[in-house]
Amino acid sequence: MDGAPADPAHAHVRRFGESNAMHGEYKVPGGKLVVVDAEVRDGRLAVVQVSGDFFLEPPEALDAINAALEGQPAAAGEAALAAAVRAALQADVAMYGFSPEAVAVAVRRALA
Amino acid sequence: MNASTWLDHDWQLLHAAPQAPTLHMALDEVLTDEVAAGRRPPTLRVWEWAGPAVVIGRFQSLRNEVDAHGAARHGIEVVRRISGGGAMFIEPGNTITYSIYAPLTMVAGMSFQDAYAHMDAWVIEALHALGIDARYQPLNDITAPAGKIAGAAQARRGGAVLHHVTMAYDIDAAKMMQVLRIGREKLSDKGIASAAKRVDPLRSQTGLPREAVIARMVDTFRQRHGLRDDTLRAGELARAEALAASKFADPAWTAVVP
Repeated sequence: MDGAPADPAHAHVRRFGESNAMHGEYKVPGGKLVVVDAEVRDGRLAVVQVSGDFFLEPPEALDAINAALEGQPAAAGEAALAAAVRAALQADVAMYGFSPEAVAVAVRRALA
Repeated sequence: MNASTWLDHDWQLLHAAPQAPTLHMALDEVLTDEVAAGRRPPTLRVWEWAGPAVVIGRFQSLRNEVDAHGAARHGIEVVRRISGGGAMFIEPGNTITYSIYAPLTMVAGMSFQDAYAHMDAWVIEALHALGIDARYQPLNDITAPAGKIAGAAQARRGGAVLHHVTMAYDIDAAKMMQVLRIGREKLSDKGIASAAKRVDPLRSQTGLPREAVIARMVDTFRQRHGLRDDTLRAGELARAEALAASKFADPAWTAVVP
């Protein structure tokens, strides 16, 4: 995933009155929207929820993506986050319209 | 996996009286599994809606995508489907929705991008016959020069692929905006180029009633691929009704991605 220009309108939106609730969005160029809602607890990602209008087979792989991000250092860079997501996916998982790198961009935007 | 073509299959048409949104969700799951198991021949199903609904994609966040107060105020049911993709705003008569349940052999060896275009090639032909210069726009849209007409989603289950599409016939854009949380960057994806009051590409570009557009589409499918009129089997309907109640009406499923 290249470093596409940031979308300032959605790079950093706090929601629902939760002071530490983070929200980031990334529209993959030529692809779909990836959204990350998360919190940071003790310097690490917690209650991570990846969502969006992408396609993913099998659908249960979304749980693996969320779990891969849970506990990652809030300071982790895009490459490390993408690697963590990729490592958690079984060989039969198919992503259409997004990628581990796109998830990582959305995470970094949530944390920005 | 061996490949198969449209003409290798004995296509069936289902076009029933209006059904509840949760039943539509369940029928997609049940009929995909029936085709996967070889109990039902490949099938085209045209949907009729008994009531208004927001249908969100399998991986969309309920609270991020839907304005719950707006939906409740307008009496709109919120359901989640089994395929990915984006939210749809449905009122009876405002869209044309169909599903294709096909063996995976239909898309064997194809990229996802090619598989989407392949399953809708007949629709592009039907739209051309209706005078619309439509084309497939990857990843999953059908567009015309004036803007988006439809969005598709696929889900693979066992040995079958579900391919379903919602086309905008005449959508009340103002109401849609009160029900869906659509960021500015997503507006173009809903076929809204500006502050349009209605999103009505099929109505305005064909000048035809919705039923006539559907009839033309079905005719095109029948001519290209063959198509027999069919009805739901009692067992299929019973399973779908049970699944509608146990899964698709369950708030836990609707909020599976909160």
